[in-house]
Amino acid sequence: MDAQQLTTLAGVIDKKMNRQLKQYIDICARCAICKDACHQYVGTGDFKYLPARRAELIRQVYKKYFDKTGRFVPALYEARDPDDNLLDELYDSAYACTGCRRCMYYCPFSIDTAWILSVAKAILIAAGRGNEMLGQLADAAIFKGDNAEMFNDVMISGFEDIQEEVRAITGNPESQVPVNKQGADILYVALAGAHSIRPAAVIFEEAGESWTISMFEAANYGFFYGDAEKARLITKRYIDEAIRLGVKEIVVPECGHAYRVAEFFYEAWSKEPMPFKVSHILEKVDQYIKAGRITVDKGLIEGKVTYHDPCQLGRNGGKFEEPRDIVKAVTDNFVDLTPNRAEQWCCGGGGGIVAMEEFKDVRLASGIKKVEQLKASGASVLACPCENCRLQIEELNEVHELGLQVWQVIDLVVAAMPLKGKKPMQA
Amino acid sequence: METYLWITSVWGIYLAAIVFFGGMAWRIYEWSTTPKSPVRLGMFPKPKTKLGRFAKLMKDTFIAPQSAKIEPTMWIFAFAFHVAALGAFVGHARLIHEFPFLPELLGEAGMNTFAAWSGSIAGVIMLAGVLYWIARRTYGPFKNLSVPEDYLLLFLLLGVVTMGDHMRFVYGDIVHAATYREWFLSVITFRPEIPHELLASNVGISLGTHMLFTNLFLMYFPFSKLIHSIGSFSSNLVRSE
Repeated sequence: MDAQQLTTLAGVIDKKMNRQLKQYIDICARCAICKDACHQYVGTGDFKYLPARRAELIRQVYKKYFDKTGRFVPALYEARDPDDNLLDELYDSAYACTGCRRCMYYCPFSIDTAWILSVAKAILIAAGRGNEMLGQLADAAIFKGDNAEMFNDVMISGFEDIQEEVRAITGNPESQVPVNKQGADILYVALAGAHSIRPAAVIFEEAGESWTISMFEAANYGFFYGDAEKARLITKRYIDEAIRLGVKEIVVPECGHAYRVAEFFYEAWSKEPMPFKVSHILEKVDQYIKAGRITVDKGLIEGKVTYHDPCQLGRNGGKFEEPRDIVKAVTDNFVDLTPNRAEQWCCGGGGGIVAMEEFKDVRLASGIKKVEQLKASGASVLACPCENCRLQIEELNEVHELGLQVWQVIDLVVAAMPLKGKKPMQA
Repeated sequence: METYLWITSVWGIYLAAIVFFGGMAWRIYEWSTTPKSPVRLGMFPKPKTKLGRFAKLMKDTFIAPQSAKIEPTMWIFAFAFHVAALGAFVGHARLIHEFPFLPELLGEAGMNTFAAWSGSIAGVIMLAGVLYWIARRTYGPFKNLSVPEDYLLLFLLLGVVTMGDHMRFVYGDIVHAATYREWFLSVITFRPEIPHELLASNVGISLGTHMLFTNLFLMYFPFSKLIHSIGSFSSNLVRSE
């Protein structure tokens, strides 16, 4: 790499600079309290996964190019160029990070390592070294947004199939999966795949909700890829749709990062206030149960049930109690994992890592804490929102022979609803 | 020795004060003129009220309960060090003005005994803290994570604390606060002079070296990670945004 290239790459830090980032970089004392907070460092013992080390790589470049003291005495800070050596390590530390922010929770200065790593990803993308798989998935989603009419027929026919399944479950031939319903109260933005639509549709229909299904999915690979513009465009697809349909509320599926993107990031990316409320599906379900809009019976779910807080939904999204209240409404045999809520261990599957085959080893090794927690709970059923968490935990379940049934929360709810139709199989 | 004291304990103090206050002002200016992140970076649980946020900020910054939970040993050393440093700092206020009430309460000899004890305890705790951190940075991931800045700061701190302790434990019974106060007041009122008592005993060497390290430490302070002393307030506040 020549000097010009190095300067350009370092310049990404300057472009992404803001007060929080500057302070995080300036004040980290390298006390390494974060080391035991990170499931990847704990699971692998590999130095490059120590949170402060991940941030240190960005600090070293920042010191070399943008900090007066670092430019004056670079050796004092081991200031260095964003050369191939640095980028190699940065790639692993940035794309492996699940963005769970458990390190931030334990840091005495609340340093957000994941935020620093968003700069790392921007540098990697500028160097043409962004993760290819995530980049392709993001581009495909944007393509779908730009050419929505191309997908219209296949989407609608898919929704019709799901509608048939919903009717079979509810036993009500009037049950619907409404498409393009102008003036509906809720736009439900699901994930790709019937499993995130079917149970939600059963619940919405039984609750008598005015809703319509989105043509787009809530998953956002642009967010995982680390490109704010791509992430914005992917989110904008359903924001525009919601404006067009005149809905009052967007409801995102169990998926953790989808909620965080819609609730916490989109306004900052688009620089426009969100014209409607964003809710998580489990918030709605909890309200339906408490308001008596849907009925759930205890006793239909067998075995001891526990609940895993997905990081993006719990620590980073603030939804600790609603999912628990739902689970407690369908069973008396509930046990919490230890630790839980804000201190919950990341399962190791977040941040898009399940889509990147190259990180499989670290991903599975980093699940060890989750495995220990699950074993200690003695539960046989795990309620687990968040698709990525579920994929990871199902794999851990197999590898470690935990014999656990892993359920979406909305599947548990549907299984506990006294419906006239046939019981659905678990997703 | 007189020249050494004039350099380290008079002119050095002026230089250190200029660099320290100028550096801190520059640092705060840099931070405050950098635009805030448009994304809310807070995490949960998040207090809903302003008062709640303020209380959480104070708790997270001064107690760091989460850090205590995950690494108690480190927390105990860090907490004890910071409290001792604060105690030592407050104790040094005797250099400007004798504490109110305490001397009347304890008598002059009693006051000196009290100061000796509290200063000794603070000095020992700080020394233990610095040695713990040096030891910690000599192995495993802590060593790999450390950069020369970390060792430089610990070296300077070690110098400050060791020489402070030296004055306390070796000369504590010989030279008392009043003598140091005479010197320090003359410096901060810009009529510097070095009292005869300081020159008459070897305490001058200790004082000069204590001040040498202190000046270097303070001059580097605004340009080092030690600005966590002010930055941690706003970074911890972001936590509940």
